Amino acid sequence: MNCPLDTRENTQLLLDYCTRKLEPDSVAILERHIAICAACRELARGQRAVWHALDAWEAAPVSADFDSRLYRRIEAQVPWWTLVVRPFRPPFRTVTLWRSLPALAMACLLVVAGVVLERPAGAPAPAATDRAQVDSVQPEQVEHALDAMEMLNEFSRHVRTDSPDSKL
Amino acid sequence: MAKRVKTDIGTAAAVLDFDTELMLRVKEGDGASFGVLLEKHRSSLVYFLYRMMQNHAVAEELAQEVFLRVYRSRSTYEPTAKFTTWMFRIATHLALNALRDGKNERAQDRLDDDTSDMPVRQVSDRRPSVEQSMVYRAKLDEVRRAIAALPEKQRVAVLMHKYEEMEYSQIAKVLSCSESAVKSLLFRAYETLRARLAHMA
Ligand SMILES: [Zn+2]
Repeated sequence: MNCPLDTRENTQLLLDYCTRKLEPDSVAILERHIAICAACRELARGQRAVWHALDAWEAAPVSADFDSRLYRRIEAQVPWWTLVVRPFRPPFRTVTLWRSLPALAMACLLVVAGVVLERPAGAPAPAATDRAQVDSVQPEQVEHALDAMEMLNEFSRHVRTDSPDSKL
Repeated sequence: MAKRVKTDIGTAAAVLDFDTELMLRVKEGDGASFGVLLEKHRSSLVYFLYRMMQNHAVAEELAQEVFLRVYRSRSTYEPTAKFTTWMFRIATHLALNALRDGKNERAQDRLDDDTSDMPVRQVSDRRPSVEQSMVYRAKLDEVRRAIAALPEKQRVAVLMHKYEEMEYSQIAKVLSCSESAVKSLLFRAYETLRARLAHMA
């Protein structure tokens, strides 16, 4: 065979050889070449040394509370209005929008009613940002958020047991 | 968990490995599948990010952000690539941004004193002597500095090739480049590493 070092593309063969990713047939051909080519022999020796050196670099174990910290961050992202409608959520799914329409309608109604009742008669209209927040609650968002709440309930059961604060 | 996930066979580039199937279940609202993905990939993701950032706390913070983004993207997830390709693409994006934000400078500062959390490899039945530990830590430090000195993309390519055992094609997808570009990155990276580390044989 031609020396793999003649082209950069073929040099990859030597890297694959050193990382044991080469097919047995190619290994046999390459080893016959390495036996007579000092340059390839030197590259293979250096590459094995690099591989060995990198092997020594082990990472420290992941913190035991990694999962519980993650689940807390996920839970912290659940929007405020989801907490309002949480009690109306059936305890289990499978959820599709049409099946949950009664619960969704009730939830949306309560959210809107809550906003109206909390504002005394004659009080000024809420600031544009507040209004935008209420107006922006779409049924799809409610649906997604409710899904998220259900998933979080399931997550809680899957937090690693070796975690010191595994109960969310 | 038991139900089969309906997948769009028409998705030409769909790669339905097990992880992808789990992610499709997450998309359908199965939180347990998210837990399985987390359990499967937590360590490799943190280790990859640790070797990129060379700081354990920063690596865990970034890994959390990756899983958060996976979770947040569940409703729009489409299986156009292997799950791990997608996950490592997010991780690489975050890591490169963090490096550019200067977290690497703080990490570099800690290179001298951040070896205390590293496991010291025990090569025999006996505990390593103080001298052996010092030699090991010196070698480790050399490896870490050699990796840290690589240009960002070369570093990503080497870490995925060496520690994640990814194929060239997958590394190419993570880095959004061609396979030949990946081979070129690896060629130059290992050339540099051989010059710095070959004496350690
Ligand atoms: Zn040769």
